[in-house]
Amino acid sequence: MSDAILEVERVEKRFGGVRAVDGASFGIERGSITALIGPNGAGKSTLFDIVSGFERAGGGAIRLDGRSIYHLPAYAIARRGLVRTFQLTKTLNVMTVLDNMLLAAPGHPGERLGGWLVRPFAARRREREARTHALELLETFDLSGHAGEYAGTLSGGQRKLLELARALMLSPRLVLLDEPLAGVNLTLGRRLLEHIEEMRTRDGTTVLFVEHDMEVVMNHSDRVIVMAQGRVIAEGSAQEVRKNETVVEAYLGKVVVG
Amino acid sequence: MTTAITFHAFAGADFWIGVGVLAATYGIFSLGLQLNVGTTGITNFGQAGFMAIGAYTMGILVVKDGWSWWWAMPAAIAASMVAAILVGLPSLRLRADYFAITTLAFSEIVRYLTDNTRSLTNGSQGLLGYSGGWVTLSVRFGGWLNDHGVHVTNFLFPLLLVSWALLIALALLVAAVVRTPWGRVLRAIREDEDAARALGKNTLAYKLQSLALSAALAAIAGFVLALNLTLLVPDEFDPVFTIFGFVIVILGGLGSYFGVLVGSVVLMTLLEGTRYVELPLAADKVAAIRFIIVGAVLILLMAFRPQGIFGKKQEMLLGE
Repeated sequence: MSDAILEVERVEKRFGGVRAVDGASFGIERGSITALIGPNGAGKSTLFDIVSGFERAGGGAIRLDGRSIYHLPAYAIARRGLVRTFQLTKTLNVMTVLDNMLLAAPGHPGERLGGWLVRPFAARRREREARTHALELLETFDLSGHAGEYAGTLSGGQRKLLELARALMLSPRLVLLDEPLAGVNLTLGRRLLEHIEEMRTRDGTTVLFVEHDMEVVMNHSDRVIVMAQGRVIAEGSAQEVRKNETVVEAYLGKVVVG
Repeated sequence: MTTAITFHAFAGADFWIGVGVLAATYGIFSLGLQLNVGTTGITNFGQAGFMAIGAYTMGILVVKDGWSWWWAMPAAIAASMVAAILVGLPSLRLRADYFAITTLAFSEIVRYLTDNTRSLTNGSQGLLGYSGGWVTLSVRFGGWLNDHGVHVTNFLFPLLLVSWALLIALALLVAAVVRTPWGRVLRAIREDEDAARALGKNTLAYKLQSLALSAALAAIAGFVLALNLTLLVPDEFDPVFTIFGFVIVILGGLGSYFGVLVGSVVLMTLLEGTRYVELPLAADKVAAIRFIIVGAVLILLMAFRPQGIFGKKQEMLLGE
């Protein structure tokens, strides 16, 4: 691949005797929207956890923009610009929607212990900037009316939106979305997809997402990576993948063709 | 046989001064627990151990090494914070329940050490003689108060004023610090540590800071305790005092620093008050009844006000 933002090479992960990820390799093209699909237990979520630093891999290599992130802890990977969301939405429900957003602001001097005291002006300025940025994003995601409410009072779909908006506070280069549409109603789901495409065209953000809805995968992704039993069994455009016999056999045949 | 339950002890100023000093001591102690448990969501069961390190470091430096008080105190706070970092570094990476067990074990190790390193601590005979400087100050302060129209003969009165001034100042300080963006990260960790990590927060560093600050507060509480007792004995650092701290935090309401002040006064009034209630029972049975009463109050609280006196009910429900 000519311009890969993320390179995953022969990544392995075992849980006891189970090979959850068994030498998976693929690349993600900069500026693309890539879907990661595969039957249950294919290793998609484990791979997400490994790439984002939430699990240690048992071997292989992972590079973000050509630099290894293999040994980095999760927080350091997020600071490098690879930000993820979770299958089970992780909004902070006892904090306000705005606080959820402000929390994500990177490089905040006030987040150091005593930073508010030692660098009061820098901290206050950063807080103001973050607030402006947060309110803009909330406006885009139609959540500004809820800014002062506890995130826990939002609907499931709105929380998915908030989680995505919050990830954007970090101005990520690559976002990993783990089933962004699970449990979201049709209208909100369509909006979510619009936001994802918009952030690619506007900010050049690369997107990798896990999704089970084949219609969404076929219509909204430039490339599709198919995993089965811990390995990547196919890669290509939606059209190519849907015609690939291995894929049809392993997975798609039951869902799409027929 | 007469079954007289008398309450006249409650009418005396001496009783309330005694309760007040204890409430301030365990109030400061519980501010740290509130920071850990209520704000950061880490279950520190070793607070009594950090208190012991603070109190004994101060006592040993003054008595055995002849340090001045004013140098011994910051050194003792530092010792307690270093201990917190050493305990926290390996154990804060673990799951919450393992961390609780580790800190509890740490606390007991400290207590056994104070009991057995007799050349330093005098073991259960107690460490005496560090409070001379305070007694002089206290007498002078009492005289000054007397000259200015405050006539209280109880020798603990100056300590009452100083300890409450400390408690209020520290409560305001911690409550202010928690409202900064630093505190926002702590609250995020309490709710969902993985979410905070995914947003680029080094959560281990924050948890260590929270624990170290809590240990510093425990050390300061240890100073007040030491001045109140004038004798340091290992029994004063039993893990049950950490449990009392938890009771204070829960009574006041998780996350509420003002609640700590109120919870501490309520608990100490109960604990000390039941000591004076005269029942036709043997002394050890009366001692057991104190704990039964505290337990009953907690059960009633959980039944009628589960969020604590100053806790927010909505936050409790949303947090589930």
